[in-house]
Amino acid sequence: MSDLLGIGKTGLFTSKKSMETTGHNISNVNTEGYSRQRANQTTERSIVQSGLVKGTGSRIVSVGRIHDDFIEKRLNKELNSTEFLKERSGKLEQIESIFNEVDTEGLNTLLNKFFNSFKELSGQPENETMKMVVRDNAKIVIRDFQRIQTTLTNTRKSIDQNFKTKIADANSLINNIAHLNKEIVRIEQLGGESGDLRDGRDKSIRELSKIFEIHTYVDNRNNFAVAAKGVGTLVVAGEKTDLVAGPATKDIATNGIDGSFEIFYKDRPGFPITNRFQGGQITSLIKVRNEDIQNISEKINNLAYDFAKIVNSIHSKGYVSRKIETDPSGNALPYDKIGKTTGINFFQEPIRGQDTIEHLSLSEEVLDDPTNICVGLTPNASGDNRVALAISKIQHEKLLNGGTTTIEEEYLHTVSQLGLEAAKSNFDLEQAEGILAQTNNIRERISGVSLDEETANMMRYQHAYAASAKVMKVAEEMFETILSIKR
Amino acid sequence: MTRVSENSSSASLQFSINKAKKKMEDLQVKGTTLKKIIKPSDDPMANFQGLQAQSVNKDNTQYLRNIGYALSQLNTTESTLEQLAELLVKAKEIAIQQSSDFYGGNIRKNVSHEIIQIRNQALALANKRLGNRYIFSGYKTLDTPFDKEGNYKGDFGHIQLEIAKDFFIPINVHGQEVFFTDNNIKYPPHPLKEFNEFHPSENPPIPSENKDELKNQTPLPARELASVTDDTSRDPFITKNNIFSQLTTLISALENNNTIATQDLLEKIDESISRIITMRTRLGSLVNTVLHTQLQIDTENVENQDFQSKLMDADVAELFSDITKQQHILQTAYQTGKGLMNKSLLNFLS
Repeated sequence: MSDLLGIGKTGLFTSKKSMETTGHNISNVNTEGYSRQRANQTTERSIVQSGLVKGTGSRIVSVGRIHDDFIEKRLNKELNSTEFLKERSGKLEQIESIFNEVDTEGLNTLLNKFFNSFKELSGQPENETMKMVVRDNAKIVIRDFQRIQTTLTNTRKSIDQNFKTKIADANSLINNIAHLNKEIVRIEQLGGESGDLRDGRDKSIRELSKIFEIHTYVDNRNNFAVAAKGVGTLVVAGEKTDLVAGPATKDIATNGIDGSFEIFYKDRPGFPITNRFQGGQITSLIKVRNEDIQNISEKINNLAYDFAKIVNSIHSKGYVSRKIETDPSGNALPYDKIGKTTGINFFQEPIRGQDTIEHLSLSEEVLDDPTNICVGLTPNASGDNRVALAISKIQHEKLLNGGTTTIEEEYLHTVSQLGLEAAKSNFDLEQAEGILAQTNNIRERISGVSLDEETANMMRYQHAYAASAKVMKVAEEMFETILSIKR
Repeated sequence: MTRVSENSSSASLQFSINKAKKKMEDLQVKGTTLKKIIKPSDDPMANFQGLQAQSVNKDNTQYLRNIGYALSQLNTTESTLEQLAELLVKAKEIAIQQSSDFYGGNIRKNVSHEIIQIRNQALALANKRLGNRYIFSGYKTLDTPFDKEGNYKGDFGHIQLEIAKDFFIPINVHGQEVFFTDNNIKYPPHPLKEFNEFHPSENPPIPSENKDELKNQTPLPARELASVTDDTSRDPFITKNNIFSQLTTLISALENNNTIATQDLLEKIDESISRIITMRTRLGSLVNTVLHTQLQIDTENVENQDFQSKLMDADVAELFSDITKQQHILQTAYQTGKGLMNKSLLNFLS
């Protein structure tokens, strides 16, 4: 009879434990990264008594979390590629907005204005006021070139700052994983339940996957390890390697710009590992900074160089409009007491390279006095408009890249290319987000808490608990019956 | 059976609502700007073409302005030539009258004063200005082209203007060709011929014939007439017609009562008159060309605007039907969300 009480007691315990687990699940229904847990119940060891096998009730073997390692890894991978695209789309959209000129005046419109003011000047070459207009338009073009360059530089610098915060995030995640590794081992050695800690570690790994691609494994000594793909192991059990992001000198910087931020192992400064990361936000930032921005900046600088160079080469052939003295044989003197009469540059001689725009400005002569803007090809001929005509034609002549593209085409190609890149990454992002949502859904379907299910379980365990209690009560009544015989 | 958990259903609801809302937002921006393309990535190719069309439009506006300049210059020149022809006709009439022996020497002397006046008037016409520029002084538009003796001080420049893409027309005739002789009139070379920069792949520069070919692609009447004058086979020294010297000779012939010299002059004056009339015809056809081009540009502008609008402007009807559709999708998402999120087993137990 006493075993009957015992059996009832095990029933109470298992139901109570199961109910606890259900409660834990319900209270964690909105905990991010939580995997539902289940109390695994089994029969208590049976005994043989006088030739009969007798059950002795039930017990809880373990509380396990419902979890699929494969889905978890896939989720990490999807997160990684989605974050890569998200970061890329965001940054490209920022850069793209520099070139938005559908409803505002962008460089193309301003260049057009500049060339058209030369057309206007060719219609009234004697008009000195028109030359001021030309000069002002040139100034605006220069300013717009500089606006583009400055915004590109600023975007690059803000990416450097992003590096810093991303690496700081990565470090704290690495730290967290190493710490959890130690905790999990400790608790499991004591025979405790490590489900919640494992959930925590999975969450950190997921966060780390957003920053760069990683893979996780358990090594032969049963240590849990995290490695960044292309870089190397970052965490083994409780041991970790820290990363730092900081300014690098020109010779080791991956984009060749002095002071650019690079990523290093904390204990090995001087050896950047920036380029070795794969996927995730970091790689996305590197790609935008080292390829897209670099590429556009180079193209815009080259465009500015060619533009200034061609305008100069034509402008310097012309003569200023003031009275120019001639030598006895009738040739115009290249200098008079005011200054040069021909060979005047419109822009200051441009420098090739990434600093073209920074140093782009009008030549001193033109800046001093707009009458130094040359319109004619012959001296002392105020109506000669051939220089103005020729300069106005630059925009639509195929002068760039060995005579294959015009200035306008070159500029618009650059913008289109950027637009295509941005459109592509937006499209890819939309797709990746779809896949990510799906994968997330699969994970949630497997590991997520369903309140309906828990409610049903709750009732089930409650009934079981009540029934077990009833068993005990019956057992007690049976005791009463037996004891009452004696009276 | 697929298990549905609390988070999976809320996540999928969130995802679909988010997606619908994002589309709504895009449509809203398009609705307020009425533009299909807000940023280059919306449609890189249309952005490219649209901006090019925008440039063409702006260029055309400029060409229309240039056409204005060309027309005022050409019209002034033409009317000046008309007046000049009238003067010469008058001088010729007088010369015819006086070439017979009907009139006596005294009368001829008096009549010579009239020719002096004609000569002065011709000189005034030769120094005619439009605004502050002399119309007959070639490139030297701010210098007086003729001195009192009728010597030409200008140069032989033909000022050209671009009145449509790659279409240049000369807008002036210089004093030499009007008042002296037509032998050295040449159709001006392409204005870009002087600049090696425009022929980066080929050095020396493309010969002007090639450029002419390019110009001939736009068949316009002025081209033929202009090329007729491009006749340099005649020796420039044989016919040296100088209106001022003709008039001066006439004056002295009349003063000296020399009827033979007066008769000799008749033919030369006739030549001058016919030359000026030819020149007027040429200018007239240039004006026609310019007016024709103006019309062309106007039509092109309309077509261009249309093209640009097709590329960049949102189709309002389509846009608003899209917005309505999207609104329905969003509403449905909310409705189903309501059904999904508010119901749980707990509602039915108690």
